[in-house]
Amino acid sequence: MTKPIIEVKNLAKSFGKNDVLKDITEQVNPGQVIVVIGPSGGGKSTFLRCLNLLETPNSGEVDFDGQNLTTLDTKKVNELREQMGMVFQGFNLFPNMTVLENIKLAPMKVKGMDDAAATKRAHELLDQVNLDDHADAFPSSLSGGQAQRVAIARALAMDPKVMLFDEPTSALDPEMVGEVLNVMQELANQGMTMVVVTHEMGFAKSVADRVWFMADGYIQENNTPDEFFSNPQTDRAKDFLSKILM
Amino acid sequence: MKKKLILLLALVLTIVTGFTTLSSTTANAATDNSLTKVEKKGTLVMGTSPDYPPYEFQATVHGKSKIVGMDVAVGKKIAKDMGVKLVVKSMSFDSLLVALQTGKVDMVISGMNPTPARKKNVDFTHTYYQGGYSIVINKSDKGIYKDKDSFVGKTIGAQTGSTMYNESKKQTSGTTVKGMTSVSDLILALQSHKIQGVAMEKPSAQAYVANNKELAAIPSKFDLSASDTSASVAFAKGSDALVAKANKSVDQIKNQNLVNKNYLPAAGKYLKTNTVNTSMLHYWKAFLTGIEYTLIITVCSVFFGFILGVILALARMGQGGVVRTGLRWLATAYVEFIRGTPMMVQVMFVYFGLGLIVNLPALTSGIIAISLNSGAYVAEYIRGGINSVDDGQTEAARSLGMSSGATMRFVVLPQALKNIWPSLGNEFITLIKDSSIVSIIGVSELIFQSNIVRSDTYRGVAPIAVIMVLYFVLTFTASRILNYFERRMQHD
Ligand SMILES: Nc1ncnc2c1ncn2[C@@H]1O[C@H](COP(=O)(O)OP(=O)(O)O)[C@@H](O)[C@H]1O
Ligand SMILES: [Mg+2]
Repeated sequence: MTKPIIEVKNLAKSFGKNDVLKDITEQVNPGQVIVVIGPSGGGKSTFLRCLNLLETPNSGEVDFDGQNLTTLDTKKVNELREQMGMVFQGFNLFPNMTVLENIKLAPMKVKGMDDAAATKRAHELLDQVNLDDHADAFPSSLSGGQAQRVAIARALAMDPKVMLFDEPTSALDPEMVGEVLNVMQELANQGMTMVVVTHEMGFAKSVADRVWFMADGYIQENNTPDEFFSNPQTDRAKDFLSKILM
Repeated sequence: MKKKLILLLALVLTIVTGFTTLSSTTANAATDNSLTKVEKKGTLVMGTSPDYPPYEFQATVHGKSKIVGMDVAVGKKIAKDMGVKLVVKSMSFDSLLVALQTGKVDMVISGMNPTPARKKNVDFTHTYYQGGYSIVINKSDKGIYKDKDSFVGKTIGAQTGSTMYNESKKQTSGTTVKGMTSVSDLILALQSHKIQGVAMEKPSAQAYVANNKELAAIPSKFDLSASDTSASVAFAKGSDALVAKANKSVDQIKNQNLVNKNYLPAAGKYLKTNTVNTSMLHYWKAFLTGIEYTLIITVCSVFFGFILGVILALARMGQGGVVRTGLRWLATAYVEFIRGTPMMVQVMFVYFGLGLIVNLPALTSGIIAISLNSGAYVAEYIRGGINSVDDGQTEAARSLGMSSGATMRFVVLPQALKNIWPSLGNEFITLIKDSSIVSIIGVSELIFQSNIVRSDTYRGVAPIAVIMVLYFVLTFTASRILNYFERRMQHD
């Protein structure tokens, strides 16, 4: 049996009196693609942000590569974050830097990579997301789909072991969703471990190894996409699917 | 709100009492070794307010501005008799006694009368000169005014803090007495008919009249005791040895009538060479020095103020933990306090107050004070700038493994700076103008230099017009340069 790369044990997180995550215990194996779906406000973003400690859990454990993140000091946490790339709904590109500089910043400042090596690597990644001709553009001149692909390339520049996606296509015009999903599918094909929060059911069906259905602070169902979509177990999931698929 | 106020008041009180105790102890400690201390130093520092010819004034000697006058001659004699070198420090008349009490200067010679009120705070030598008072008026009014009693319903001007000022108030009725810091300002007010007469000591009046054909002098007829019309040298309270030594020199000056025989004629000569050429162009070097110092002060203060501002802004935004909370409270208190007190007071506090602990030159004190002041304002701009950067930027950087420090430095601050660049530019331009405040502690920036030119040339308006143009050229150039950089930063 393979060792899981991410193990979540009894994770709980609340904001004041709002118990957003109540008790979550799940694991992700290397190479797996997990799609997290569920109603808005159900805690999906919070869960993802707990995985790389952008949010500090109130209790429970997040183990990454066998290390319990919640007990590590700040420096170690920074080091572990390098290995978990994250892509946001709003891209969050650095507006004052060119596309190339966006990608080069962290490898140079965090890993101490020299300029030539970082530039070379950035061009490779831009090639991978089909945007090498935009290397010197500023983010404001990019379309949403292009910006999100740059954001993916930027996260990949740190050579992460896991990629976390938080609704990467939700802010995009419909005609741009495809180009981003293609890049993600490509990544999955290459064997990248991914945890993806999305409402793109087509992507979930074709790419995911497991679907986690999250609502009311719990993972209500953990199943294969086929099983989940054809035969949901809980009323909560049935209700959600009927609304989303119509 | 109220709690904050009480805390602030407590803070001020502690600072003030702290400094008073300190100053009194230093004064006591100096009691007996005052003379030995000066001899050891090898210099005797004399404080004076050089806008009172022929007592003391600025003259251009071999193209360099220099303080001369009969008081300087007196100071030289005292220093020579002690076997040390005389160093002359100029500052406003109001600041002289404070400077003496805080050890910025060893003695004050500035045509100063040994009044009972002053005697409480400092020690005086015997008098070295017995003068009298005149009132300077416009020549065209010569028939109208005869003496102090002719000014009913009119205004007489006198140097603020001087004996003339107090006596004019006491001994006239129905006359308004207007105080100004410098005699050149008073003469200007007289010539522009804001006031009708200026009360000053006889030799000064004679010098002004001799150098300005528009003016005339009339006797004052003030009823005065000898101490009110005499000039003495002031030393710090309790420096008996110094006073005794200086008295020997003063007695010689008196017995040999050195003031009337040597010092006054020599000062008169400076006055003549001084007023030969009163064109502003002739004084370009003085103005250039002014620009130089104004720029030095501004650039240094902006630089240090900015660094301080960043530190304060970060401290104010710190969260969690006892240390961070403490720092945040401190930074907030500092910003509130600085923004709630006048810059002029801060400048004087740094120069005179901090001067009790470390003896800082006026220029350094000025830069420190203005940096401290500017830092508080810059901190608020920076805090606003940091808050204006989207949280997503921080999250993206942190998710890439960047530390909070690196995130601040490489991602947030550059964007914050771009957002607040116009405000920072304004601050820079404001500082060019506000740096003029340090003229009160004698830093030779533009305002100070223009005052020198004014008292040198006896021309009131022209130097003001010149520095007005110069200030505008400076601020306009600065704003062009800042705009250029602002445009270069706009790529999104
Ligand atoms: N930083 C925060 N402070 C307070 N409440 C938050 C914060 N982030 C999220 N929440 C709350 O947590 C709940 C779950 O939010 P989120 O994780 O964004 O859900 P989802 O991504 O599933 O829509 C919401 O009620 C939201 O208001
Ligand atoms: Mg969300």
